[in-house]
Amino acid sequence: MKKQFETRKIALAVALCLGAPLASAQSSPIKIGVVTPLSGTYTPIGEQVKMGLDLAAKEINAAGGINGRKVNLIYEDEEANPAVATQKAEKLFQVEKVDFLTGTVNSGSTLAVGQVAERNNRLMATSVSFADSITGDKCSPNVFRVNARAGMQSAALAAWVEKEIPKANIFFIGPDYEMGRSTVSAFKRASTEKGGKAVGEVFAPLDNKDYSPYFGQVRSAKPNVIYTSVAGNDTVRLFSQMGEYGLNKGVTIVGASGTVTSQNIGAIGKSANGFVTGVGYSPKLDIPANKKFVADFQKAYNKLPDLYGADSYGLLYFYKAAVEKAKSTETDKVRTAMDDLSWQTPQGTKKMRAGDHQAMQDMFAVRVENGEFNIVGRVPSDQAIGPDVCTRF
Amino acid sequence: MHNPQVKAIRIIELLLLSSALVLFVVGSILEDTFFLRLATEALIFGGLAMSVDLLLGIVGLLSLGQAFYFGFGAYLSALVLKEISPSFFLAIGIVTLSSIVLGWIASFIALRSKGVYFALITFGLAQVAAKIVYNTRSLGASDGMMGVPILQIWTPFGSIDTSHPGAFFLITLLTIGVLYAVLKYFLTTPMGSIWHAIRCNEDRLAYVGYKSKGPKQVAFILAAVVAAVSGALYPMLRGFVSPELMFFSVSGNAVVTVVLGGVGTLIGPILGSVLLTLFKSIIGTWTVHHHIIIGIVFVVIVVSAPKGLAGLFAKYLGKKHPNKGGE
Amino acid sequence: MLESLQFIYAPQIVNGLSIGVAVVLMALGLTIIFGLLDVINMSHGEFYAAGAFISVSLMTMGISFWFCLLLVPLLLIPIGFAMERLLIQKVFHYKDRHILTLLLTFGVAMVLEDAYKIIWGANPIKPSAPISGASELLGVMFPNYRLFLMGFGALLIFSVWILIYKTQFGAIVRASAYDKDMSSSLGIPVMRVYALTFAFGVALAGLAGVLLAPIYSVFPTMGRDFILMAFSVVIVGGLGSIKGALIAGILLTQLQSISSLYISPVWSDPLVFTVMVLVLMFKPTGLYGGMKNA
Repeated sequence: MKKQFETRKIALAVALCLGAPLASAQSSPIKIGVVTPLSGTYTPIGEQVKMGLDLAAKEINAAGGINGRKVNLIYEDEEANPAVATQKAEKLFQVEKVDFLTGTVNSGSTLAVGQVAERNNRLMATSVSFADSITGDKCSPNVFRVNARAGMQSAALAAWVEKEIPKANIFFIGPDYEMGRSTVSAFKRASTEKGGKAVGEVFAPLDNKDYSPYFGQVRSAKPNVIYTSVAGNDTVRLFSQMGEYGLNKGVTIVGASGTVTSQNIGAIGKSANGFVTGVGYSPKLDIPANKKFVADFQKAYNKLPDLYGADSYGLLYFYKAAVEKAKSTETDKVRTAMDDLSWQTPQGTKKMRAGDHQAMQDMFAVRVENGEFNIVGRVPSDQAIGPDVCTRF
Repeated sequence: MHNPQVKAIRIIELLLLSSALVLFVVGSILEDTFFLRLATEALIFGGLAMSVDLLLGIVGLLSLGQAFYFGFGAYLSALVLKEISPSFFLAIGIVTLSSIVLGWIASFIALRSKGVYFALITFGLAQVAAKIVYNTRSLGASDGMMGVPILQIWTPFGSIDTSHPGAFFLITLLTIGVLYAVLKYFLTTPMGSIWHAIRCNEDRLAYVGYKSKGPKQVAFILAAVVAAVSGALYPMLRGFVSPELMFFSVSGNAVVTVVLGGVGTLIGPILGSVLLTLFKSIIGTWTVHHHIIIGIVFVVIVVSAPKGLAGLFAKYLGKKHPNKGGE
Repeated sequence: MLESLQFIYAPQIVNGLSIGVAVVLMALGLTIIFGLLDVINMSHGEFYAAGAFISVSLMTMGISFWFCLLLVPLLLIPIGFAMERLLIQKVFHYKDRHILTLLLTFGVAMVLEDAYKIIWGANPIKPSAPISGASELLGVMFPNYRLFLMGFGALLIFSVWILIYKTQFGAIVRASAYDKDMSSSLGIPVMRVYALTFAFGVALAGLAGVLLAPIYSVFPTMGRDFILMAFSVVIVGGLGSIKGALIAGILLTQLQSISSLYISPVWSDPLVFTVMVLVLMFKPTGLYGGMKNA
């Protein structure tokens, strides 16, 4: 009967032990919380995030850690649900007393966890979410983003389309949720500014299984470019169905950076050939740092890294650089150190813009051929970044 | 106290109440935040589970869409707090009144059917509502709404800050406690007996001169209010709302909670919610495969102990004092 | 006018038919289980997924797609039988068995979905279609595999109908549904018939999984793809009615297909739900009542 009572006592005691300061502060590890989807639809992304972070942590610890302290990653599954993410984030901040948090994938979770970080006076960063709002109108002094946002991806893609297919007729197919719609509108803006013409759009529900009812509309609009922001399984279905119906003949298919990644490229197969996207990373980037990174990644996991893995890897080095510059893990000092910080990543040098906490990097137009992501265009970081619309700080 | 079930319920009530108070005292002394907030969340979802139990265990109607009212209460509360005024009583008041109206309207659609069909209609209603919210820009669409302010709640003992985990835990305990008391009160009225009768044999009710439609509607609306008020507490705790609060997984979890705790007892859902929240939090840290573990536990409970933990406890009490049954 | 009929409506209708056949295959098993056993099988979608996953593994081992069509349902029958015998029948004698079986199958669905992720991984897999290429139909191109699907699906549905209504086995199944005690006293092993019927229903779902894998790809959460639509079809068509499942399936998918020309695709699911709710409100037994009325 007393079971209930005891469980609470034990839980509290455990919490105390975990939170108790260790004997020697000198060698105490730096704890970084990772709230990422490890179950549910977004699991493949969470897995890449984990692989990238783990690899970086291993390398950093082997080289002596950060300021002589080892890095300790603590993972929690957020199930891609902001309600679960906030609970787990709070657990990591309060019980595990992590110094820093990352890992959120969808923008809802990033925003919600960002709020938790503010209320706990700690910093967090995302290496996946690309909704512009996170470093735009919903920016936060405690939230940083190391990956490219939607606006940057569109800039790179639009530049390529303008060059290769001037005055294109573009049809838009997107999943009907915040991310799907905003990526479409970002690219629509960028491409119409450069002379393209929007000839139609269709927003299908997330997890839509059959796109064939919409092909009639697409055909009658006679586009020569189709832009899509679907992702994961939806991409597999859309692309293979487009292939089945011959919709991809004579049409260049372009899309968001999350549309074709190493997780679904196997399933899409031939139908992905010729797909072009604007993205911040490709495993084929011809930079020595990337070649080493890809080789290490493959050796450790027997898989190729994708943008999520690479950006997560780079995120840990970002934190390392900031903490070493600040000589402390205190929130305010690290935040100051992060402003306008430049650091090395597999994509070259990135710089964290102080005004909105958005990382600046060169962007690439990448084309998929036979399962490989070949680089076919490049836009330098200052042209790709876009304006700073964050007014909160 | 002859009935082992009644006794079991009493004991569980006392147990939960006393552990809650202990948690508050110890947590406040230790300045804990996480566990108090986790317990608050358990209570909030326990409230939702209570609303499921009212319909399922008392009246005999399985609702697979209580998350609709829960999410409605949460969003409305967030809107009131953000746009009108950060007042606890205003938010709760508006949510209570609106959910009465909403429940009343919904009852005309849902109560046309019973049994399996009722389950499917409530399921469909919640799905459609969730979809609408998910695609509505002004409600934050798929990202939800952030920035719900911290409230100052006026009480005779002074002003309470919702960001204070211990204090808000007590407020939530009080609110859910009031909801529980209201439901228990209804059970003692003639309406409560009619509810039990509906569950046992609705068709025969007419033969003894009672209409079932009115009482069913009252129960339905009451359940909507309980779910909505519980939901209204959520943004006060976490500072945001998102469409996931209306998804089927929330309704489904509530049903799992009710079955786990003990269907028809009203306290069972609270117990179930506390245990499940704790369980998920602990298991979720050890392994990624928590869904399969919870799923297996759930299947085992449904097959071997359909009356849930409260039922098992009542059985245990009944065995211990077999002679007292006849008093 | 005629042109719009040919290039806009006709393709939508034919498309709707190919989706419709898929949905009807899913709904068939569900309505048989629902109508006969009075069991809401929330795990039906997971058996659809099971069929797809098993076929993927078999094909990796070199077994041809056509052989999988035969093998996979046969493999699922004992699994379905076991689940009915060991789990569902345990809760059957309770008064609130409807709810308990619903909860039970809901729990099984949770377990299966996670199991798929553990065994096959989280990334999508797509087997290639056994028939490639496209043919021109009414001026528009249609993939040959989909045309095959429609034909084969129609054949399947017809066979199920014959099995249930024109064979002795079907008569036994219907009798057990209509009057359990009478059938039992006539010497029919009712419990075994129940288990076999459940197995048959989920085997049908698994077969649908094999057939649709090349079009819709295979991944752990795929069980949720069809379940909502399938339940709507079963309700609108009438519990236990095969004719109802067929007609409701075609009607609802046509509704979805044609409506997507006028309303945003996001609202087509709510539209189907609204139809389901309206039917439930005004004619709760659906278009064609139950198997007991067949």
